[in-house]
Amino acid sequence: MTGGMLNSVAELQAFVNDHERTHVVGRRSKTALHQVDPDTMLADMSGMRGITEYQPQEYTLTVRAGTRVSEIQAELRKEGQYLPFDPLLPNHASIGGTVACNLSGSRRHRYGGIRDFILGAQVVDGLGRAFRVGGKVVKNAAGFDLSKFLVGSMGKYAIMTDLTFKVFPDAPDYQGLRLQYETLDDALNAVFHCNRSAHELDVLDFAPCDRGWSLLAGLAGFQDTLPQRAKQFVATMRAESALLDATEAEDNASLRDPLGGLTDDFLAKVVISPRQIPSFDARVHEMQRRYSAGGNIAWLATHDIDALKKILEAEHLPGMVLRGAIDRPLIGKNIESPLAARVKRVLDPHNKLL
Amino acid sequence: MNRSFFEALQKIYPDNRLLTRDVELLPYESDALTAFQTKPGAVALPVSEDEIIDTVRLCHRMKVPFVARGSGTSLSGGSLPIADGLMIGLNRLNHIKKIDPEQRIAVVEPGVVNLHITEAVRQYGLYYAPDPSSQSVCTIGGNIAFNSGGAHCLKYGMTSNHVLGMKVVLADGTVTQFGSESIEGVGIGPDLVGLFVGSEGLFGIALEITLRLMPAPQLYRTVMAAYDNLGRAGDTVSMVVASGLLPGAMEIMDRLAIKAAEASVGAGYPLDAEALLIVELEGEALQVEAEFAELRGVIEESGAFEIHEANSEDERARIWKGRKGAFSAVGRLSPDYIVQDGVVPRSRLGEALVKIGEFKAKYQLDVANVFHAGDGNLHPLILYNGREPGALEKAEALAGEILAMCVDLGGSITGEHGIGMEKREYLPTMFSPVELEIMQDLRRAIDPEEIANRGKMFPGGEAPALQMHGMHPLERQGVISRE
Repeated sequence: MTGGMLNSVAELQAFVNDHERTHVVGRRSKTALHQVDPDTMLADMSGMRGITEYQPQEYTLTVRAGTRVSEIQAELRKEGQYLPFDPLLPNHASIGGTVACNLSGSRRHRYGGIRDFILGAQVVDGLGRAFRVGGKVVKNAAGFDLSKFLVGSMGKYAIMTDLTFKVFPDAPDYQGLRLQYETLDDALNAVFHCNRSAHELDVLDFAPCDRGWSLLAGLAGFQDTLPQRAKQFVATMRAESALLDATEAEDNASLRDPLGGLTDDFLAKVVISPRQIPSFDARVHEMQRRYSAGGNIAWLATHDIDALKKILEAEHLPGMVLRGAIDRPLIGKNIESPLAARVKRVLDPHNKLL
Repeated sequence: MNRSFFEALQKIYPDNRLLTRDVELLPYESDALTAFQTKPGAVALPVSEDEIIDTVRLCHRMKVPFVARGSGTSLSGGSLPIADGLMIGLNRLNHIKKIDPEQRIAVVEPGVVNLHITEAVRQYGLYYAPDPSSQSVCTIGGNIAFNSGGAHCLKYGMTSNHVLGMKVVLADGTVTQFGSESIEGVGIGPDLVGLFVGSEGLFGIALEITLRLMPAPQLYRTVMAAYDNLGRAGDTVSMVVASGLLPGAMEIMDRLAIKAAEASVGAGYPLDAEALLIVELEGEALQVEAEFAELRGVIEESGAFEIHEANSEDERARIWKGRKGAFSAVGRLSPDYIVQDGVVPRSRLGEALVKIGEFKAKYQLDVANVFHAGDGNLHPLILYNGREPGALEKAEALAGEILAMCVDLGGSITGEHGIGMEKREYLPTMFSPVELEIMQDLRRAIDPEEIANRGKMFPGGEAPALQMHGMHPLERQGVISRE
C-alpha cells in the first residue's frame, strides 16, 4: 500500500484518475479505518491545510480538509466562537476525517451534530470531477444537499477537499457537574427527566464508575448566572431522580471528553437510542463504555472485538471501529442502502474510492 | 389519462378517493404560487402506506408522472400538478404514530400538519422547532420535500436538522428506511436523511418520519427597535452578532411592511419607522435574563429612535402576529405580488437593500421588504397588477435581478422555499454545468423514468404559461403567507 501527499485539488483529481483504487486518509487518527489491501493507493490529505475563509460576523468558516481540528478551534477561540458539534479527537484528527467519519463529541448535545453545521463542501469524486456541494451561507435550500450526504460517507463517494461550516459564539464560562446514581436505570431516568426539562445542558453523558453510574452534565453561559443555574439543576435532579450526590467537576475538559478512560485495544462508536441502552448495556457490562449526547451515542473500548460484533448484530445496532486492527471497521447492523448505492453509481461508478 | 392506468388505479382506490371530475380537480390546479396552474389527470387520496407504495409502483411501471402533495402551500410551485399526470394527496395520512417525550422524538405520517406536532407534545414541555409561517396548514411531508425553514432557523436549523429517520418509497417503487430514533440519526454511513430532505419530491415519497423534538424554552424575551433607515437596522443585526449573543430570531421589516401589518393586525408597530427590528432571545430563564441585559445595551447604542420590550406573552404574540401576517397584509395593498426568498451574507444585507431600491426605481414597481435578518434570508415582496399587460413579466424580471444579486453577493437563490417551478431557470446561476449534470444524473439514478415531480427544480422542463392574478384563497384569509 503506497500513496501520495496531495497539496491541491488538481493533484487529487490526477491521483484519482491515475489509480484504480484510492483510499483517502487525513491525519490517520483512526487507525482501524485504514486497513486496505496492498493494491489500494492512499490519498494523503494532510497537506491540504489551512482556513481559507473565516467570517466571524457571518458565523461561517471554510477550511481545507486536511487541517487539524485543534488549529481550527484555536482560530475560532480568538473570536469567541466554536464548532458546536464538538469534533472528536481534536488534537489528532483532520476536519475532513472528522466529517467523513461523523465523529462529534459530547458538546453536540446542545445544538446538534456535524450534519447540523455543515453548509457545503468542495469535493473530487470517483470520476476525478471537482465540484461544489451545498453553499457557503448559513441558509440555503437550492439543489440536492449532498454536503449532508457526505457526513459519515467515509470517503467512499467523493473526497472532500474543503468544507464550509456554520459556527456559533461560545459561552464565556462553563460549569461541569458529576451526578452520582446507584444504577443504570436511575441514571437513565435522570436523563429522561433532563430531556423533558427546560435546563439547557451543553453536555449530558453517563458512564459506569466505582460507585455505580456518573451522570456528567455541562452548563454553558455567563459566569454570574452559572452557580445559580447549577444549583437549580441539582435541586431539580434531587427532586425528580434518585440522585445520590452531586459535585462540581474539577476539570471541564475531561468531563467533556467522551473517550477518556476508554483504553482497551478496540474503540468503537455505536449509534443507539436511550431506550435501547438497558438491553445493550446488560451485554457489554464488562467493556469500558460511556453513553454520550443523552444516551444517543455509545463509545466502547474492548479487547474482544468479536464479542462486540456479535452483540451489535444481536441488538441490531450499527457500529464503527475507530481504533484497533480490523479488516472491516463497520460492524453490527448492516447499513447498506439502495439509495446510497445509487449515489455511488453516479459519483463513483468504477468503485475507485474505498 | 391513459385508460389502462386509470383502471389499475381503480383497483387501488374506491371512487370517493380517486378524483377525476373537473370540479374535484380544481382545488389541485395550483399551490400557493398561483402564477402556475395545471390540471392533473386525476387525484388519488391514499389512506395507507401500502396504497402509496402500490400507486408509485404503478406509476413507475406505466411511466405516468406523479406529484405528491400535502396542503399545497409551496411557494415555489413545488407541488404544481403535471398535466394529465397523477396527483397523490397525502393529507389523509395525518396520524402522529408515536410520541416519546423522554427520548424527545415523534414518529409521524407525511400528512401531519406541522403545528399539530407542537400541539400534541406541548403537554410534555416540548415543541417541534421548524416554524414556516404556514405552519398551521402545511404538512411535514411538504416540509421535508422543500427543507422548510422559518423565523428561528439560525439557532436550531431547518427541517433537515430535525429529521432523524425516514421510511420512503423511491420513485421506482423501492421501499427503504434510513436513520434511527437516535439523535445521531443515520450516525454511521452517509447521511441519507440529509440527502432526501430538500429533494423537492424528485426522489420519491416519505412514508413515515421520525422527528426530533425540543424542550420548550422557559423564557422568551422579545424586543422591537424602530429606525429611521433600513441600513441602521441592518447594522444593528451585525452589532448583536458581534456581541456574542445568539438570538433565536432576528427579523427586519421596512416601512411598507410595517404599515400594512399594523393596519391589518394592530401589533403596536411604530408607524413613523423606516425599519423595524425584532430580536428574540429564548431559553433557560436565568441565562436569557442575563443575555437580555446585554442585548438591551446593544440596542440602546444602535441609534434606534424607539425601543419596546414585550412585557407579556400576549404582547409577544401580537408582535409575532404582525410579523407573520406582514405578507398577506402587504399583499392586500396590491392585486398581485411575487415573493423571493434569496439569501445574502448577513454583512451584505445593507448593500442588498440598496440594490433592491435601485431595481424598484428601474422597474417602477413597489417592493416591500420583510426578512429573516439573522440568516440573511430576504423576502422582497414585489407588488404589481396582473391585469395590466406586461406587469407580471416586469415583476418577474425584477425578481430575477434580485436572485442574480443574491448569487453575486455570495448567497443563494433560495433559503427555504426551494427551486420548484419558480426558480428553475436560475439554478445554473448557482451551480456549474458539472454540478447540474451530477444532480440530474442522481435524479435519474433514483428515478429512471423521471416521473416524480417531473419538470421541477431543473431548468428547461415543460412549464405551463404564467397566468397570475389574485391571491391564493388561504392567503386572502391570512392563513398562509409567502415567506
